[in-house]
Amino acid sequence: MRIASESNAGTRNPDGLPESLDAKVRLQYEVEQFLYEEAALLDERRFAEWLDLLTDDIHYWMPIRRTTTAKDTENEFTEIGQMAFFDDDKELLTARVRKMAVGYAWSEDPPSRTRHFVTNVRLIAMHGDDITVEANFHLYRTRLESEEDGWRGRRQDVLRRVGSQFRLAKRHIYLEQTVLLSPNLSNIF
Amino acid sequence: MKNEKWREETGLRAVEKARSPSDFIDVEHGLVDRKIFTDEAIYKDELKRIFGRAWNFMCHESQLPEVGSFFMNYIGEDQVIAVRDREGVIQVLINTCPHRGNTVCRAEQGKTRSFMCAYHGWNFDLNGDLIGVPGLDEFYRGGLKREEWGISKAAKVQSYKGFVFATLDPQSPDLDDYLGWVGKLGLDLMGTDRELVAVPGVQKNRIRCNWKLAVDNLFDWYHPKISHASAIRSGFFDEKLLYPADQMVMLGEYGHAVSGPKITMAEEEALAALSDSERRAVFDSLPGQSWRFTESAAETLGPVGIKSRGHPNIFPNLWVSTGGTQLCLRVPRGPAVTELWWFTFVDKNAPEEQKRKVVRMATHFFGPAGLLEQDDGENWNHSTRTCRETMTSSRRPLNFAMGKGQDMVEVDPSGQSRVETVINEHAQLWLYRSWADWMEAEDWPALIANHAAEPRGRI
Ligand code: FES
Ligand SMILES: [Fe+2]
Repeated sequence: MRIASESNAGTRNPDGLPESLDAKVRLQYEVEQFLYEEAALLDERRFAEWLDLLTDDIHYWMPIRRTTTAKDTENEFTEIGQMAFFDDDKELLTARVRKMAVGYAWSEDPPSRTRHFVTNVRLIAMHGDDITVEANFHLYRTRLESEEDGWRGRRQDVLRRVGSQFRLAKRHIYLEQTVLLSPNLSNIF
Repeated sequence: MKNEKWREETGLRAVEKARSPSDFIDVEHGLVDRKIFTDEAIYKDELKRIFGRAWNFMCHESQLPEVGSFFMNYIGEDQVIAVRDREGVIQVLINTCPHRGNTVCRAEQGKTRSFMCAYHGWNFDLNGDLIGVPGLDEFYRGGLKREEWGISKAAKVQSYKGFVFATLDPQSPDLDDYLGWVGKLGLDLMGTDRELVAVPGVQKNRIRCNWKLAVDNLFDWYHPKISHASAIRSGFFDEKLLYPADQMVMLGEYGHAVSGPKITMAEEEALAALSDSERRAVFDSLPGQSWRFTESAAETLGPVGIKSRGHPNIFPNLWVSTGGTQLCLRVPRGPAVTELWWFTFVDKNAPEEQKRKVVRMATHFFGPAGLLEQDDGENWNHSTRTCRETMTSSRRPLNFAMGKGQDMVEVDPSGQSRVETVINEHAQLWLYRSWADWMEAEDWPALIANHAAEPRGRI
């Protein structure tokens, strides 16, 4: 969707976000609309169009979460460079989409039926063209007769203004599960 | 109704009449009764007779760097804690408090000074000794002998080149004897001459399948071309890499095996003609594998082992994978649920760039989001499910007969034996044959006396 350039204008807070309520509301609206449209593309399996929403330097990452004691929670998530469930650049995401398109991608054939819910959208910071956004998500998947999986968690995204559009420049996905209760992660979060 | 009569034809007894585990496995014809993949009683027996007696992989020593470092794992379905005690010795404690059975540790890894039970506060030292009991004098009034109520421990804990294993059975042979040359070769295919360290982060996920189907798949070089067709067709993996014609199988005592591609004669000659540095460059496309072309690797792996690019399984459930950069444990969590735990390793002394490549490749090859592995689970899930269906499943066994009776075991002058052939199911059948040995044996002495010897001649 197109975004108005005015949201760039006006005074800014230290986090770089606009100060006036009007500008904030407008930015919030634009960001949410982008996230909802993006989710709709995924649920409609329009993956090639989804790829077009990504910047070339996107980092799509899902760390491993571990059950730790309360005093050890800084070790709860693995760090970048350690093992992860996803640690993808655009090339790898393109390969994932291509894999689904070439046929015989059994984990998605018959296709999964998915529904992305994106809620609690919060604008965290805006620096230059980059807006950091946090949101909660629930990805529901069912496939075949009665297979059911669900993932809930937090996403930290960076949306970048490119011309009159947003592009996704970063998606870091923090799941609530430690042992994944699903047989695979063949879907896009 | 030929199919309905398969039991008489093959000598397998009807399930209802089956008396012993070997009745489920027809080695001669390469058939396996589907019941072993779903039956609750058989599964319970496996926990006792296989996991309760085997040497089970716990973790790598590098995961326990300091006194008090611990890593939680399972032996069968019994939760255990591998922990480095005050003497620096690795202990394996059964995670259950002797008082009322509560667990004493609830984090999957970390570092601690002791394990205090959250129920009534019994406190256990890192070696399992009971060192604190609230109200020991006031309430027990001398009636509790602390030294008798330490936490239960594995019978033996031993390491092979940094890989820590534990057994609950005091009668089990030592780890070295248990592994034998095939098991040791399997672990040495991790490149054990290097200083291996575990990369933080064990991927864990749950598949709705019987654990044995996940294990037999690791030997399965028949499925990639079909199961992983999309990864090949999308240009992500080389078909030659996933479906190599030249195969080599090594079968070891107690069910260990290595099965998969072998370096071909042409490759061997081409590699021999290269200088050391050129040889290393060849394997830059497969990060973390240049170690294979060193003198010490040739010595460690032996003249046959050095040619293997196959997949080892350390019986019962430890897959040595991804060209010596990963281990995958198939953790049983019920007759129809298996967890896959992926451990990833790098050479501590490798350049950072090389380590990053290994980690990146590991992340997108295997694991639940892996471009290969994401297509595996549903197959095993459906195989497990249909084995539960009563009517057909009780009549038709599964077919593990590929190559049966058509290959020869050759023994190298070094003593290493192997089958060199095309894609086959020898290792899978060996797995089930050994499974029956384990399930039949009343105890370790019986297993030692009666297990199948390494095959020789035609198999
Ligand atoms: S159950 Fe552990 S102290 Fe009572
Ligand atoms: Fe596979």
